[in-house]
Amino acid sequence: MEEKTNARRDFLSKLGMGVVAGAVLSPLVSSASKLLLNNEEGVEIKNFEGKLEDLLGGDFENIKLKMQDDLRRALKKPMKERRWGMAIDLRKCIGCNACTVACISENALPPGIVYRPVIKEEIGTYPNVTKRNLPKPCMQCDEPPCVDVCPVSATWKREDGIVVIDYKACIGCRYCMTACPYEHRMFDYGEKYSEGLPRLAEYDNRPSFEYGKIWERPDKHSSPVGNVRKCTFCAHRLDQGLLPQCVTTCIGGANYFGDLNDPDAVITKIVNKLNVFRLKEEMGTQPKVFYLT
Amino acid sequence: MKNIIDNKTSRRSFLKNSALFGAVAGGSLTGFNVFANMTEEERIKFNYEIQKSENVIYSACLQCHNACSIKGKVYNGILGKIDGNPYGPQTMLPHIDYKSSLDNAALVDGKVCPKGQAGIQTLYDPYRIRKVLKRDGARGANKWKVIDFHQAIDELINGGNLFGEGTVKGLKDIIVLKDAKVAKEMAADAKEVGKGKMALADFQAKHSGNLDKLIDPSHPDLGPINNKFIMMCGRIEHGRKEIGKRFTNNTMGSKNFFEHTSICEQSHHIGYKEVSNQWVVEDGKGKWTGGKTHLKPDILNSEFVIFFGTGAFEANFGKTSMAQKITDGLVNRNFKMAVIDPRMSQTAAKAKWWVPIKPGADAAFAWGMIRWIIENERFDKKALINTTYAAAKETGETTITDATLLVKIVDGKPTTFLRANEIGIGSDTEFVTLVNGNPVKVDIQGEKAIYGDLNISTTIKGIEVKSSFQLITDEAMSKPLGDWATICGVNVNQISEIAKEFTSHGKKAGIDFYRGAVQHTNGYYNAVSIIYLNMLIGNTDWLGGMQVGGGHWHEDGSKHGIYDFAKANHPNKLTAFGYPITREGTKYEDSSLFKENGYPAKRNWYPHTGAIYQEVLASGEDEYPYGIDFLFLHKGTPLLSMPGGSNAIEYVSNPKKLPLFIASDIIIGESSMFADYIFPDTTYMERWGTPHTTPDVAQKASKVRQPIVPSITDMVDINGEKMPINLEAVYIALADKLGLSGFGKNAFDNNMELTRSEDWYLKFIANIANEGGGVSEATDDEIQLFIKARRHFPKEYMDITRLKKSVGGDDSLFRKVIHVLNKGGRFSDYKNAYSKAPYTDGQLKGFLKFYVENVAKSKNSLTGLNYNGIGAYEVIKQMDGKATGFETKNGDELTMSTFKEVFGGQSRTIGNYWTQLSLDPENVLFINKIDADSRGLENNDWVTIVSDANPTGIIDLQNGTKIQVKSRVRVIQGIRPGVVTMSWHFGHWAYGSTDVVIDGKTIKGDARRKDSACPNPIMALDNSVKNMCLTDPIGGSAAFYNTKVHIKKV
Repeated sequence: MEEKTNARRDFLSKLGMGVVAGAVLSPLVSSASKLLLNNEEGVEIKNFEGKLEDLLGGDFENIKLKMQDDLRRALKKPMKERRWGMAIDLRKCIGCNACTVACISENALPPGIVYRPVIKEEIGTYPNVTKRNLPKPCMQCDEPPCVDVCPVSATWKREDGIVVIDYKACIGCRYCMTACPYEHRMFDYGEKYSEGLPRLAEYDNRPSFEYGKIWERPDKHSSPVGNVRKCTFCAHRLDQGLLPQCVTTCIGGANYFGDLNDPDAVITKIVNKLNVFRLKEEMGTQPKVFYLT
Repeated sequence: MKNIIDNKTSRRSFLKNSALFGAVAGGSLTGFNVFANMTEEERIKFNYEIQKSENVIYSACLQCHNACSIKGKVYNGILGKIDGNPYGPQTMLPHIDYKSSLDNAALVDGKVCPKGQAGIQTLYDPYRIRKVLKRDGARGANKWKVIDFHQAIDELINGGNLFGEGTVKGLKDIIVLKDAKVAKEMAADAKEVGKGKMALADFQAKHSGNLDKLIDPSHPDLGPINNKFIMMCGRIEHGRKEIGKRFTNNTMGSKNFFEHTSICEQSHHIGYKEVSNQWVVEDGKGKWTGGKTHLKPDILNSEFVIFFGTGAFEANFGKTSMAQKITDGLVNRNFKMAVIDPRMSQTAAKAKWWVPIKPGADAAFAWGMIRWIIENERFDKKALINTTYAAAKETGETTITDATLLVKIVDGKPTTFLRANEIGIGSDTEFVTLVNGNPVKVDIQGEKAIYGDLNISTTIKGIEVKSSFQLITDEAMSKPLGDWATICGVNVNQISEIAKEFTSHGKKAGIDFYRGAVQHTNGYYNAVSIIYLNMLIGNTDWLGGMQVGGGHWHEDGSKHGIYDFAKANHPNKLTAFGYPITREGTKYEDSSLFKENGYPAKRNWYPHTGAIYQEVLASGEDEYPYGIDFLFLHKGTPLLSMPGGSNAIEYVSNPKKLPLFIASDIIIGESSMFADYIFPDTTYMERWGTPHTTPDVAQKASKVRQPIVPSITDMVDINGEKMPINLEAVYIALADKLGLSGFGKNAFDNNMELTRSEDWYLKFIANIANEGGGVSEATDDEIQLFIKARRHFPKEYMDITRLKKSVGGDDSLFRKVIHVLNKGGRFSDYKNAYSKAPYTDGQLKGFLKFYVENVAKSKNSLTGLNYNGIGAYEVIKQMDGKATGFETKNGDELTMSTFKEVFGGQSRTIGNYWTQLSLDPENVLFINKIDADSRGLENNDWVTIVSDANPTGIIDLQNGTKIQVKSRVRVIQGIRPGVVTMSWHFGHWAYGSTDVVIDGKTIKGDARRKDSACPNPIMALDNSVKNMCLTDPIGGSAAFYNTKVHIKKV
């Protein structure tokens, strides 16, 4: 444990970040930050009529419904007792990018911002060739290097482990983008896909529902324009008892999600296997995204 | 802080850009108060509205033909998100029980592919057309003026000097045969004239009063002038297909309704249909009829699947339902795959074997496998000796084959099956086999269980015969395995290893094939050769083998539906007669043209296939058998999507050759830009449909497509009914103004009307809802939810009492319809697909044939030579059987192949910026490093691509614009050396990529849509017919993979 802490400190000092700067600016941060901490006490899910798995009308396995039941069960606990994690089975990832696009659509992401890229590689020499696909959401590190560099404390790890950004507090300095070893954080320049076309398309005006709020991005001066943005595990959906979009829409069934603190959850059984690895583990970031090979 | 977020686009220019531009610009930004920021308080009171059942409308996708069941989530009146419908077996595995409540289903999101997700950007494409456009200059000049819908209809009907270019003939002078009784009588007699059974003089005497209504009174079998009205459809599906056929065939009286299947994978369908069609005896006469056009492996229960010229993760029919079955199998149960494809696809990457085959040599690989299987006796002998259904029943099979039936051999060539009467042991409807060497008559449906001999080569009563199994054995043994491997350019070990694996799982193996194996001149033969492999292991109807799928409830009412559209419900319908302009479904020898001209015909005739898209314009240009007076193009873009399609630009640009050309399109596209009028159409998210489900799905499923949001196109009032301008509105208005049957008041039996879309589609849905006992009736609460979920529609568009009237006003039936609409269709529960284990639930129970007598009896109309009855390997040829000329090349040419990126859909996805920009903004030519090195090419180098058919590589739009086909190269390892490939959904020259002028105002195109190339304009033409791509003479498939190209660094 000590080793990890040191590693993080070293990492930060290497970046030469002004931790002091954060201290100076922090009084300017509004108390709006608290808004991000909904579901602290656990929530009652409406329309909950037993297990969703029962909707199958038979004794079949539907992992996604099973995981959604896991999730709904976890939501009944106080937030601090939940620890969200994701696993991606690379053997099942078919590189289709359904997750990428579902995420863009769900979170109304502008051009240049992709929370869920899939890195594709060709390996080998003809005719002994294959392809490898590596989806890369935010790793939701337990020791997130992006957090401590924020001069205004606009980003932090929630009690349930999700690393969040308070758009109202973020000043868009982009230190965190440099700090993230996974190059995950992106800056919202306020662009729109249909900008400059005969008319602005409806999809460019649909608000984002991130953090359980409505973000309309009406102009170049309203958050989250000018802010850094990142994957939240679809926190706004989790609060509603829904799995992240990349999980629900995955046509290869490669994604697993749930509460790592729940010994009975699908996710917990999956991440404790020999064929599991995490990206850049050596940095001590303790990612909560696990890969299966 | 300001500096950071200040960007180059100011708020002012943002506003300017969102201003309205003539007819193209969309309406208001309904629902969003874009410029009003929310207060913090409002922000806190977040409610995830988009997930509530009252904001969900289930429908069906159409970004590809898979037509997945989707969940449209509406936010403030706008389609905010598309997810999979959890009730649908394509979009959730396993799917939820049909009786699940709507509130519970709202909590569950199914899966959809990236293309489906991006459908929102098809719907809200800023280049959507809202009003009717008429050209305001020469064809293809990209100059338009807005015209009133009704005025456009009047002009089309009456003709006149419409463009200042002289008189144009209107529909009133084309649709000249309008009397149903006369048409029916003429139809019957004209056919007899074609067959030579009625003298021309007799016909002319009998129909003397109506000869002026014929295209050519001396060839009445060409049909009436009505046939010069051509309805050409691209992506069209059930529901719209039926109303289109009704309009074209029975309202307009034209034979010419076309789909686009020949540029998709038609020969695959024809291969299956011919192999599986049935020998049916009625009134002592036998005939080949029916047949299933599509089977797929039951992947969930299979142990080994070969994907032949296709895959499961990028395209096919379709990835959303197939992918997870495979990935689960790979990880959980040692499922294995082989992928035969020159390109390393995502599916190949997960397969045990990748076979980078030589394009067009697919049958050689199949024959190599067949040889190995026969030599090593790895075929299912027990299944193959079943000669009759009674024998199959005894041995636990549902299908039989002709393996043991005898085929006559004349001059060394197989001809037809030996019939029992020919050797005096039975009738001419019975076949013959040998049982232990003794001839036995075979009534395949008879009560007698007959087990014939497999290998027969003998002479009976002077007639030389062989069994079908002997025929394929001879063909397989005609070349050593090494030769078969050499022909298809693969390692011989791959053939034997895959053949061994394929025959190591009993019935639990199968082969799926699609366009890669069949879009060649030898496509039909390739298809049949591959199907033989499935037949050899007797896997049809077995769990883990090949399945017909769960099927659907019959929306056309053909199975005791409330509204039978297959046989009835069209009072005074016209009988269309004559030959389709493509000469499909017709034998040349049965025409009066054959009697006059013999062989070679000017162009081929196609008795075994249909939907030959590439023949439509080419035949029109050649006026063979007649020219086109009026072309109605709907949701298709042949000039872009056909191989060599740009070759037809000259024809469609010339009003003297093609007098009237109208299009129904959502955007001014590569082909519709040449039209005289464009009628805006509704996208699949604004209209109705009843698409079918892939055979990959084992559960019975009837999906329903319905408007999720109001149409972006303008509304029009037709006889008091307000509706969005779209294809159906054009049909309704034309039929009304022409005074024709089948639309308007009294369109249906019992005086029911067809005055708006819902009158048609809700009857289809009523059939789905009511068949076989039907679904339960929607409760009052569910009806309230139905209404509430549609509160964003204008009243006249979604009026509950009007909807009820569309299904006849019956309360109980209407409630069932609402039930189906509320769930996006009718779906059988997951468990129902496995009630007949170890057999599949849906069953072919068919007669599968190695020897296709039906095809062997037909002749190529250019050569006069018979086709083969077995699926022999054939080299790539022209229609006239001659070599293409490719064989003599000097060796530095490359074979052009195509594929589709998972997010691409031919002509209609370029405006889907979420995928186009975020995943791969530019098309590239994929080339093996070996080929790149030898040409001194590096990644991202630009090259021009040329071919014999297009030696300059230039597309001439005939409007002053010329486009060079060029692309960057991407150097990879995962492609067969000598083959290059491109994804097939770029290279636009319209569809929002180019400036257009409407009412004098310029609407700027988006350069992002123009990038890179479409390979079609350099694809090979058939030199024997000149103006059309290389084509399979039997199956009709357009050749996409048979072009040799040269690339040159720019």
